[in-house]
Amino acid sequence: MATATTAQERSAELNVLVRKQRSLWQDAWYRLRRNHAAVAGMVIVVLFMVIALIVPLLTDWKIINDPINRQDTAHNLMEPFWVNSPYRYPDYPLGSDQLGRDILTRLLWSTRISMLVGFVPVSIIFLMGVSIGLVAGYNGGWIDQLLMRITDVIYAFPDLLFLFIIMATLRNTAVGDIQGGLLLIFVAIAIVNWVGLARLVRGQVLSLKEREFVEAARSIGAPATRIMTRHLFPNLLAPVIVSVAFGIPNAMLAEATLSFFGIGIKPPTPSWGVMINEGFTVFSTSAWPVLLPALCISVVMLAFTFLGDGLRDALDPRMKA
Amino acid sequence: MLKYTIRRLLLLIPTMFFVAVIVFFLAHAAPGSPFDAKAVGDKQLPLATILRLERLYGVDKPVHEQFILYLENLARFDFGNSFRSGRPVSDIIGDGFPVSAQLGIQALLVAIAFALPLGVVSALKQNSAVDYGSLFFATVGTTIPSFVLGIFAIYIFGVAFHMFPFVGWSTPAHWVLPTVILALGPMAFLTRITRASMLEAIRQDYVRTARAKGLREQVVIVAHVMKNAMIPVATIVGPATAGLITGSIIIEGLFSIPGIGRLFLQSILGRDYPLIMAVYLLYALLISLANLSVDLVYGVLDPRIKVAK
Repeated sequence: MATATTAQERSAELNVLVRKQRSLWQDAWYRLRRNHAAVAGMVIVVLFMVIALIVPLLTDWKIINDPINRQDTAHNLMEPFWVNSPYRYPDYPLGSDQLGRDILTRLLWSTRISMLVGFVPVSIIFLMGVSIGLVAGYNGGWIDQLLMRITDVIYAFPDLLFLFIIMATLRNTAVGDIQGGLLLIFVAIAIVNWVGLARLVRGQVLSLKEREFVEAARSIGAPATRIMTRHLFPNLLAPVIVSVAFGIPNAMLAEATLSFFGIGIKPPTPSWGVMINEGFTVFSTSAWPVLLPALCISVVMLAFTFLGDGLRDALDPRMKA
Repeated sequence: MLKYTIRRLLLLIPTMFFVAVIVFFLAHAAPGSPFDAKAVGDKQLPLATILRLERLYGVDKPVHEQFILYLENLARFDFGNSFRSGRPVSDIIGDGFPVSAQLGIQALLVAIAFALPLGVVSALKQNSAVDYGSLFFATVGTTIPSFVLGIFAIYIFGVAFHMFPFVGWSTPAHWVLPTVILALGPMAFLTRITRASMLEAIRQDYVRTARAKGLREQVVIVAHVMKNAMIPVATIVGPATAGLITGSIIIEGLFSIPGIGRLFLQSILGRDYPLIMAVYLLYALLISLANLSVDLVYGVLDPRIKVAK
């Protein structure tokens, strides 16, 4: 009898069904794809990311107006194209604000700010949180003690209050002027939020390091750095990804809130929060300059939440709420 | 239990001290003087006037000396005078606190009054239209930020239909929109928790036992399912309160309500150090107490959980 080599042949021989081998990640991707809300969220997120990337090109191709801050006081507070009103202007399809700036152009450029604020601080948080959490959980010692003490204080200190005091202090310094305050916002959001992820990673490491595979790695003499990067890290990645997925909309929301209260992005740089802040003075007579950015924030928030929920269910079905 | 409570209360002292340290030194690290035009929001004062004001309020001393002085005054419950109005900070906080407290308590009551029935019904009729409706509401309420929901509410109920006023806090009609908008977040959150916790309780063995011995369905639901399902819900009320405290800053700013939240925004923007310190310490204290109450309530409600000795 010939030796059965492939899984199909073996299964035919044993008369059992063998499913094609799939890794944990392929399994998760399969579950994620079947979740309609998550897929819709993902499509919207990708769409906004593409917009953020190609905004300069749209300007070059004359699809949107340039520059962002061109003021046209003869055509201020124009209505969007679907409003039946004499106050419309074909150059401004979504209308204009009280300084006569094109709302469509500013909305699209704001997408870029929001995406940057979503992804850059979260990358910093990821690097800080994972490395500090790994070391604190695996080695213990003073790093662990320090981490726990910092958390005690941070927990009595809501994120928003912390962000406010950091922004209020530093926004009039040289750092606060870089890129309309964007750099300061990155740093402030990262400082406030890395602790939560570090705590999460630490907790995961504490339970993982008692498991047999870590003991096995240690017994064959693997150094601590190898155990952390090759054994612990891949095993704690799933909850970290979920936490990061929710961290992105949180960071965007933080920027929007700060800018809305006038201590985030510095005008005239457009961001959805800045646009709401500036339009709010004329809100009761002319609502679209405020409603449109508010709508953008809502859509992005919902998209990221659906995607985050989908990732959580896909990566760990046991966590399903 | 008493020992645990006292220890937790004592632990508040170092926590508050660190909050004070962080806020004091961060606030004072800002460049320039608190009496600059940027902070005052007015014309630039002459240098001599700024220097005199700085000496009057003691801002010219080294920061660590100012901090020690602040702590000494704090020990006598003297929070200092506001840089802007000159009034004692304790009076200003005293004016704003009742308004914020009223807003917060109203919002909490509204949240509980709507979330509990909604959560219970959607769990009892799982996968029905009511269930999907309340899940959708819970997602929207927890996802879309309150200031954005507030803007939509102001537009629909204030600007378009003139149903409610939306600036200030003078009449009960002014209370409606801010209260409802502030309540939405915790309401959505509580609905979700109530539903999940009901669904878990409904599948327990003791519920099957209750049905098996022939109890009426209402008795089973109220006395057996709900009684147990409320334990996790009760523990969420604490964090929800903490959320209401920070949420009220945004809502008070949006609706121009003269409470602590708006004072907070004004003090931060105007670099009014004594007011900043007092508001931060108050918020940190309230939130720590809310967190503490959760841990205590947990132990009382569910004897299976032992609070660490």
